[in-house]
Amino acid sequence: MKREPVELTLGFLGGEKKVTVDVAPDDAPHWDLTTKFTQVGGEHDRMDAIAKVTGRAKYAFDVNLPGLRFGVLARSPHPRGKLAALDLSAVAAMPGVRAAIPLKEIGHQVRFVGDPIAAIAADSLDQAKDALARIDARYELEATAPIDLREAEGAPALDAAGNVTSPWPEKGKDEVDAALAQSAHVAEGTWSVEVQTHSSLESHGAVSRWNDDGSVDVWCSTQATFGIRQGLAEAAGVPVDKLRVHAEFVGGGFGSKFVPGTEALASVLLAREAKAPVKLMLDRYEEHTCAGNRPSALMRIRAGVDANGKLAAWDWQSFGGPGFSGSGGRATHVRSWLGAAKSRTEHVDLVTFTDAGRPMRAPGWPQGNFAAEGMLDELAQKAGIDPLAFRLLNDGDELRQHEWKLGGERFGWKERVNPSPGSPRDGESPRILRGAGCAAATWGAMGGAGNNVLCRIHQDGTIEAKNGAQDIGSGMKTVLAILIAEELGVSPSRVTVTMGHTTDPVGPASGGSTTTPSLAPTARHAAHLAKQELCERVAGKLGVEAANVRFEAGKVIAGDRTLPFDEACRAIGPNPIEATGRRFRNGAGYKDSVSGCQFASVDVDTATGFVRVTKMLAVQDCGLVIAKKLAESQVLGAMIQGISYALHEQRVMDRRNGRMLNGDLSWYKVAGPRDVPEIEAILVSVANGKNNAGAAGLGEPPSVAAPAAVANAVSNAIGVRMRSLPITPDKVLAALASRRASKTEGR
Amino acid sequence: MNPFTLTICKDLAEARGACVDGAVYKAAGIDLVDRLKERKESLPQLVDIGRLRKDLGGITIDAQSLRLGALTTLHEIAEHENTASRALRALREAAGEAATPQVRRRATLGGNLLQRARCWYLRSAGIGCSHGGDGPTCMAREGENRYHAIFGGFDCVRVHPSNCATALCVLGAEAEIQSGDATRRIPIRALWPEHGLAALPEHTLEPGELLIAVHIGRDVIEGNSAYREAREKASFDWPTTSAAVHVAIEDGVIRAARIALGAVAPVPWPCDDAAKSLIGKPPSDELFASAARAAFKDAQALTHNAYKIEQGQAVLIDALRAACAEV
Repeated sequence: MKREPVELTLGFLGGEKKVTVDVAPDDAPHWDLTTKFTQVGGEHDRMDAIAKVTGRAKYAFDVNLPGLRFGVLARSPHPRGKLAALDLSAVAAMPGVRAAIPLKEIGHQVRFVGDPIAAIAADSLDQAKDALARIDARYELEATAPIDLREAEGAPALDAAGNVTSPWPEKGKDEVDAALAQSAHVAEGTWSVEVQTHSSLESHGAVSRWNDDGSVDVWCSTQATFGIRQGLAEAAGVPVDKLRVHAEFVGGGFGSKFVPGTEALASVLLAREAKAPVKLMLDRYEEHTCAGNRPSALMRIRAGVDANGKLAAWDWQSFGGPGFSGSGGRATHVRSWLGAAKSRTEHVDLVTFTDAGRPMRAPGWPQGNFAAEGMLDELAQKAGIDPLAFRLLNDGDELRQHEWKLGGERFGWKERVNPSPGSPRDGESPRILRGAGCAAATWGAMGGAGNNVLCRIHQDGTIEAKNGAQDIGSGMKTVLAILIAEELGVSPSRVTVTMGHTTDPVGPASGGSTTTPSLAPTARHAAHLAKQELCERVAGKLGVEAANVRFEAGKVIAGDRTLPFDEACRAIGPNPIEATGRRFRNGAGYKDSVSGCQFASVDVDTATGFVRVTKMLAVQDCGLVIAKKLAESQVLGAMIQGISYALHEQRVMDRRNGRMLNGDLSWYKVAGPRDVPEIEAILVSVANGKNNAGAAGLGEPPSVAAPAAVANAVSNAIGVRMRSLPITPDKVLAALASRRASKTEGR
Repeated sequence: MNPFTLTICKDLAEARGACVDGAVYKAAGIDLVDRLKERKESLPQLVDIGRLRKDLGGITIDAQSLRLGALTTLHEIAEHENTASRALRALREAAGEAATPQVRRRATLGGNLLQRARCWYLRSAGIGCSHGGDGPTCMAREGENRYHAIFGGFDCVRVHPSNCATALCVLGAEAEIQSGDATRRIPIRALWPEHGLAALPEHTLEPGELLIAVHIGRDVIEGNSAYREAREKASFDWPTTSAAVHVAIEDGVIRAARIALGAVAPVPWPCDDAAKSLIGKPPSDELFASAARAAFKDAQALTHNAYKIEQGQAVLIDALRAACAEV
């Protein structure tokens, strides 16, 4: 389609730029920095907050249907081998059992403890679990089953401290060697991170029902209603149009719920076999062990800076532990430091006989950025430059330069950073060491075309909006209501938004932080079209030109007449105005990515090794800020999850038999209320002009910075570089002991 | 959950006769019900004593002693006026640090003292071990043992999970036990075996016996006590090491002292020698450090828990400082 050039004022307040962008003539006029908003950017509450906290919101886990049966999965107790025999006949004869289906063929591999082999449905969950014990399954086991990445085939050689000692890869080595040789300061080290599980509050699973007309309804805890529909229809053997997915509320996904998974597929198959609706939701142990995770990694960096403190060489080699799939374990990091530095990146994924990794909130970034930001601090220290000053010196991202300065000031960086790491501040107890750290965030989520939003205006002045994608907790429904309300000059409380049914217009998977940038412009376009139609109707009724009708502050102004919005809507008649908004493709704009940075300060108890985060601040842009509270909530959530990853979370496996030992929420430790410090998110609103609303993604970028900032703060406090997450008290005590030992040696 | 019979007792007399043939008493059921739901255990009969608060609840004080009914909740212990004295601070702090506010409002003292060890091998559905009775050996000793014992873990390196047990050990408490129609009192330490061997049950009550109350003598109520613990999280976490201390100080000199450690051994771990080393001396940081060294002299680290030795000493020193502080 032909697009027309329009000049817009883009960027951020204090960093404005005139940019000519190409826009589709049918689109709603692009917003920019000069736009005056009445709703967008306001302090709106989450529209379904009350329903959620009172339990009225029904998640897949809550769906109860007449005649509901309960499904469970039988799983391999062995990490590696072949299924040699599977007999379900005893199961089928058990009381209450309605269906028993093999899921793995004889002779096929089992690849982790928990690999599903069969599914059972019974009248009660207890009966289904009773039946599990009666399955007769036999396995031919392999002699070895590496569980930890460090023991996998192809794992690098490590020294006693866990540093990679294998030779650096040959390809391109000479150039990096040369750049390192010319550097004024160099550093080298190995960083490691353990497996983190998504730990969504609502576990994976679905309720499936076959209807008399041959259609199937599936209520699923998913972050991709349309994406999983295809897979489920295939499994059910029905055409896609006969299968509907419903996900009105989703209790967290974080990247683990893009695929239907064995649990949802099995619920469909069991429901057909049992001739009754079947609910199959994972229990907490299964959720930890069979529903994906953020892979572990070993990351090795050597790098150098020139005499001015500018990065000159950067050599990266990483090893990912994504489980049996052997892919998806890449670790990566912000690269705007690199400038003219000679750099090289190599990554290898290794196979372990554990559950396969899945995308998790900024896949690969929290792990890689922890290592990269740690190395930056190390280089800064060698060059005798303050960590924040070092970033200002090296960061080539103009927007983040603004954010570093803003954040550093608001956080009180100068007062919080420890100028002499490992030493107490003047006059303070030597027991508690204090320090601060910072880290950068980036993301490239601008959303895309191929989505629609339906908008209806009724004659009583109420408004409906519908999209079939899911609101996984980001607050999409609220975002859509605000945009539609802005366009129509009314309050968002007039707008009822429904999401999560594949019978409604198509929407994206909630991945890559694309839901808001994909749907926000679409909703606005839908409201824009509906408004045009309403203008015509009102103009016709009042005998004025449609071009002279305006919508403002709940009023419709037509020439010299002003009507309340509801009154104007009486012109609509019994059939509502209905418009389907399109998502036009992104045009040129201010910037193709978002930026951010975070700051953390910690108190470390050197006697017990306990780390207390005392303050955390994020500065983050996400294009246009639409629902301020919810956007801040996204950032705060990522910061808390980052504290948790930096200090607490790790999957502990028994290496002899491949079982997770802390597959609960008692020993798999997730930060709780008392672990959360004074915490603040400053949003930088950026007009990016890439689409009519200028929305960009926010779910992932704050996850990139948080763990690195916390880890750097600990290192700054105690004067030892912490290169292994989570930073538990035992590691802190060991680090302090090594520091004492090296000091003694030094004497 | 496997089917079981639930007998709900209306009075103590009913509870006395009800617990036979492998039946188990249930109070709040905080952990017991989880274990049943997760099918980690199958118990044919439960005897619910949760409604006997008239007989088994409450914190009362008389001329001889302070009595804590077995059904007293951890929250009550942490907040009650009768535990507000400096002498009982260890117990108050231990109860107040446990679990979460929600759990503390429901969990009982009896359940806390007699709870099952949290060892992740013991509780793993797919791994057998000697203490669980379904395996030949202790799986933690050569496995993942960051939270396991550094003392007394002969053939089982689980740790005792009760904060309150550690505190009561230094308060010279006695357990009142209903055994048939009779009641008897034993020193609280005798509620657990001296050595937490794999083959031994985790407490010494015979089947059918019921913990009625815990008594703390008046003489103890004179001194100062404190409880400190280290953990990995501030919210809802188990201690990795903990220490309780009780001291009596006269004229600036320690006249009596008791020390116990938690989360380091299969049973609450008294340190009598270290406590003795304090007696007759004025409190000082040097004295505390030397007592802490003495307390951990015989600690034996496993592959992943050496940190407990250093951390445990720090926690003990903190508890000693708090107990001896002059406020």
